[in-house]
Amino acid sequence: MDPNQENQHMSASVALDDEQRIRVLSPGMLVFKRFVRNKLAITGAVIVIFMFAFSFIGGLVNPHGQTEVFRHYQPFVKEYAAAAFTDQYRFTPVPGRTLSQNTQNAFNVAAARNAESFSADGETFMIEVMGEDFYLIEELVPFAKVTSVRGQLVASPLDGHTIPDGFTSAIDSAIKAGRELFEAGGDKYAYIIDGREYAVFTGTPVCVVVKKVFDLPPDSPALSYHFVMNAMLAFQGGDPSFEAEGQTYTFDRNDGGAEIYGQDGLVAVMSPLAIKEYQPGEVMTLEFKAAVAEAIAEGTRYFELIEDGEVVEYTLEDQPNQWVIRKEMDTYLIKTYGPPSLEHWLGTDANGMDVLTRLMYGGRISITIGFVVVLIEMFIGIILGGIAGYFGKWVDNLIMRIVDIFNCIPTFPLYIILGASLDQFGVDPTLRIYYLMLIIGLLGWPGIARMVRGQILSLREQEFMVAAEATGLRVPRRIFRHLIPNVIPQLIVISTMTLGGIIITEATLSFLGLGVRYPLASWGNMVTNVNDPYIMITYLNTWVPAGMLILITVLGFNFIGDGLRDAFDPKMKR
Amino acid sequence: MTEQGNSDVILEVKDLKKYFPIKAGLLQRTVAQVKAVDGVNFSLRKGSTMGLVGESGCGKTTVGRTVLRLHGKTGGDILFHGQEVHTLDKKTLRSLRPRMQIIFQDPYSSLSPRLPVGEIIGEAPREHGITNKDNHNRHIDKIMSDCGLQPYHKDRYPHEFSGGQRQRICIARALALNPEFVVCDEPVSALDVSIQAQIINLLMDLQKEYGLTYLFISHDLSVVEHISDTVGVMYLGNIVEYGSKEDIFKSPYHPYTRALFSAIPIPDPTVKMNRVILEGDIPSPANPPSGCKFHTRCRDCMEKCKTEEPVPVEMAPGHTVVCHLYNS
Repeated sequence: MDPNQENQHMSASVALDDEQRIRVLSPGMLVFKRFVRNKLAITGAVIVIFMFAFSFIGGLVNPHGQTEVFRHYQPFVKEYAAAAFTDQYRFTPVPGRTLSQNTQNAFNVAAARNAESFSADGETFMIEVMGEDFYLIEELVPFAKVTSVRGQLVASPLDGHTIPDGFTSAIDSAIKAGRELFEAGGDKYAYIIDGREYAVFTGTPVCVVVKKVFDLPPDSPALSYHFVMNAMLAFQGGDPSFEAEGQTYTFDRNDGGAEIYGQDGLVAVMSPLAIKEYQPGEVMTLEFKAAVAEAIAEGTRYFELIEDGEVVEYTLEDQPNQWVIRKEMDTYLIKTYGPPSLEHWLGTDANGMDVLTRLMYGGRISITIGFVVVLIEMFIGIILGGIAGYFGKWVDNLIMRIVDIFNCIPTFPLYIILGASLDQFGVDPTLRIYYLMLIIGLLGWPGIARMVRGQILSLREQEFMVAAEATGLRVPRRIFRHLIPNVIPQLIVISTMTLGGIIITEATLSFLGLGVRYPLASWGNMVTNVNDPYIMITYLNTWVPAGMLILITVLGFNFIGDGLRDAFDPKMKR
Repeated sequence: MTEQGNSDVILEVKDLKKYFPIKAGLLQRTVAQVKAVDGVNFSLRKGSTMGLVGESGCGKTTVGRTVLRLHGKTGGDILFHGQEVHTLDKKTLRSLRPRMQIIFQDPYSSLSPRLPVGEIIGEAPREHGITNKDNHNRHIDKIMSDCGLQPYHKDRYPHEFSGGQRQRICIARALALNPEFVVCDEPVSALDVSIQAQIINLLMDLQKEYGLTYLFISHDLSVVEHISDTVGVMYLGNIVEYGSKEDIFKSPYHPYTRALFSAIPIPDPTVKMNRVILEGDIPSPANPPSGCKFHTRCRDCMEKCKTEEPVPVEMAPGHTVVCHLYNS
């Protein structure tokens, strides 16, 4: 018999007629087809894809940051300034001189005692009273030496001074009267007995001291000695104007003070009032100060000013020793619990942060934690489960006992303890997320290890593995080409299912304050708002979306997991 | 059909023993041993087929797998071309693997569901360098068409095939390595009768074409009668009767063989069958009976059988029986 012919005959008789079948599907494609046909699984996939887009792309597109605090201006009647009668002397030294704090203090004491002179820092100063709360401090300068020559006083001038008329008679009468000060030719002099001689000193002005406040426009240089001196002299003398440094200034008087106008308008406000701003850094205009001084002088409790073209209303309130001036101010406030608006679609939360933005970033963290933890669990689970399953015997025994121990650990108390330890060490919120991933991952692998071990244990005994050995394939090829591909479906299913669980765990931990911490957002810690029943009821927009996202995402992952399980194993279908 | 003149022995099995330990307790100590194969001797000539028959659990499959070193042996020798298989180092064993192949009983579990058929068949020849890039496809196509598969089946996956087709894939996988010796471990018992015939004929055709040597394990006597040159009857880890097919089927000596053969159905209702009914179950191989292992179920049991182990007796050239009945 012709063997060829026989072969042909045999082939024809046994070949099944399946020429019509054109499309050849790999197991992967079959799974995909079954998955796509499953409506619930597709719903889950759409949800999960949406969540990914929302969290990862949304976070990029959104102009706001997760920790960005939003503020807004709100009109608010607030204390703007306070005014009080000043009880402090203000010193204006002559050009080129400064007056030390010691000297100022010594003056204050001397003025209180109505003394005529005082000394400070080894120098002696004379006080000349110019008017009410208006003094001139003078420095003593050696003027002349006076000697008694046969009962007759002879004055010899020093350093180019000239002796005025009647000087000797004036000192003579002063010595006889026992006074240390005397006047001659309109100037004041003082003498000190120095052995048989008299050292005579005269005063040069050092500083003008007034108990009035000269308010100036912001950022203008301090007033000069001459200006203050002349202004005070003119004010006391009742003159309508005065001159200083070649310029003429006019007064607009009120009770106890005056507005001083120069050629270009208001130059300074002289008043017995010290006006201070309430908020540091607030700049008060001169007009405002003038208006305050005028209002207090006139006894009114309300005035208006035109600022930047708008009428601003001020009110004064009498308080002990001072007046408080209030006005309606735009206050920069944190937008807490803002309602949903065009700018903030879901409003703002208790910290004035945009809820929608935080949802996006929170989703990132929640989903990332889910994936990373699953990866960690898979990594440990596959390696340990694979080793246990493939090698069996005592290795299997050892690893499975470790798994048993891990299963005995009550996870939630441990999470709480570890979370508290992280608090104790003051771990940075960002770093904390990584620790969180590690902790959840390191506690979650035993389930996967057990599954992988079981799968491999059963697959190892399958005849196709024996066949692979019989055909003499190398061990790595047997493991990676024959064993692993058969475990992957279960791995995919279990990891998808685990993912939802991990997102829930993370949300729970964050809700309890043990997971992701403020200021970083996670869906779990956004729901924490419900701690306060009032906020829970009133500001639904701050926590309901986060809760819904957790629910929907976990549902989505579970749908996908179910769909994959059904797709991988059609026999499992109920 | 077979080349009777060729007398060179391809496989020789001497006093093969395979015990499986029973472990128990916390420390997994071995408390007993299942003596699955307990002293089996046979040899196979090139191009011949040896049928190995026996009840379920008598150790047929274990013999087949131990011969291929798919698990270790407890004692005895397995000489493939005079070379002890179980002492080979890994490398030599790997190079020996293609020369001895196995076809499994279950065509469903013996094919990895994740690999396309072309890969299942072609992977090992490629890995062993039996084929190269140029002739790989031709080689696989040839083997597939020899086994009654179409070349376009290569891209399909096992789940797309029927049981008979899958068994052809298994056969193709074994033959793709150009083996000399194939263990057929009940290759047709999972298939329906019409497909069984196709597969058996296919195996015989392939044997003729490639000059294969088969160790054909089966519990189906009619199949064994059809394909074998020599037959070994196994009971509880021992071959109780061994001889050429003609000798054994014409004149079975061992009471167990007789009982087995009397159970072969004859498709003729008028023939009165003289059945030998075996009573009881096969004893546990962990605790086999003393003396002749068959004595608990034997019709012709004597006092001697319960205490003394029988030794092989040659009834005719190449036909041995292990029974006290023929020992005098």
